[in-house]
Amino acid sequence: MIFATFLLAQTANLTWYLLPLAMVVSLVYSTSRFELPDKILRRAVWLFIQIIGFMAIVFGVLWVLSYGI
Amino acid sequence: MSNVPPIAHRKPWEERSVVVALLLAVLVPGLGHLFQGRILKGLIYHVGILGLFLWGVKLGEGVVVYNTPERGGARRITLHYAAQLGAGAIAYPALWQQARLNQENRPIRQLEKPLTAAFSGILSAVDNDNEGGKLEGTVQLMPEPGEYGSETKGTFTGTLDGQPVELTLAGGFYLDPPIGAGFHRILKCGVASDQKKSPGSGQKIDGWIPRSIMDGYGVPPDPDQLQELTGRLGKLHELALVFTWIAGLLNVLAIWDCVQGPAYGFGDEPITTPTDEKSETAKTPESAQLNSNANPA
Repeated sequence: MIFATFLLAQTANLTWYLLPLAMVVSLVYSTSRFELPDKILRRAVWLFIQIIGFMAIVFGVLWVLSYGI
Repeated sequence: MSNVPPIAHRKPWEERSVVVALLLAVLVPGLGHLFQGRILKGLIYHVGILGLFLWGVKLGEGVVVYNTPERGGARRITLHYAAQLGAGAIAYPALWQQARLNQENRPIRQLEKPLTAAFSGILSAVDNDNEGGKLEGTVQLMPEPGEYGSETKGTFTGTLDGQPVELTLAGGFYLDPPIGAGFHRILKCGVASDQKKSPGSGQKIDGWIPRSIMDGYGVPPDPDQLQELTGRLGKLHELALVFTWIAGLLNVLAIWDCVQGPAYGFGDEPITTPTDEKSETAKTPESAQLNSNANPA
């Protein structure tokens, strides 16, 4: 149990790195799609939400599947 | 759907030399855009891509950017490095750093000239690495004539677990080669025996001194070093690699944008639905027409 908690803490710590990564990816990708700053920012925010949302769903599914293992 | 006519925009990427902009964008992320006067986009690319790349280098302790093609293999650049190359000139040093790892670049067992450097590591018993404490300070080492020729001796001045300490160093000296992967250069040295302690209580210092960026960046690590690093950093090292790869690949999008303009247009074009497309198949979108007619100022 202690080991599992330790492992989860380690993984969770690494997961935080995905937030800035997703932020940069969505901002740079949106910048390459549009020219107007307003559109770039709106699109980047939406893409960021989509990426994080998708990863959260995958995380949730994997967590449910691995429950009790 | 609104019928507000779109504004005709300038196309800055067509106003200045495409070749120069391309070269600048390939060399430094965002520089091509700055050359074209697209300041905001240039800054986003520059800070985003370079920031991600450098963050990856920091996370991986400098042992991230390198090219190690198989000997005799057809591929001269590994896929690992090809992705990093996209980030521009910041990845280029790995192209020539490998050639600097020649015969003369060996570990040093005996200093030929004095060395003073910041040191970080541990003080441990010679026969037990687990005993000891954390050292932070400065080492001063120099060659001195000894009983059997020249020996490396010196002092460590700094703190041991936060407490001030000064150690006399002698024997068992080892220093990593001048050129090597990463910004840490391993240094080991014995501590001259203390008269107060019992015989056999020998100690050593084991840690690292800084290596210059010129000698540590882009150098391929040897297998032992890579194993030690991946064992110590674990997934963090993989994440560091991923950061540099993604940064390199993102710059490909930036280069394309610099040369061809944004992929989806300016962003204020009217959205056409499938129904609109059917009814206006022969009609050119107004914004596209306006944009293509826009003359550079």
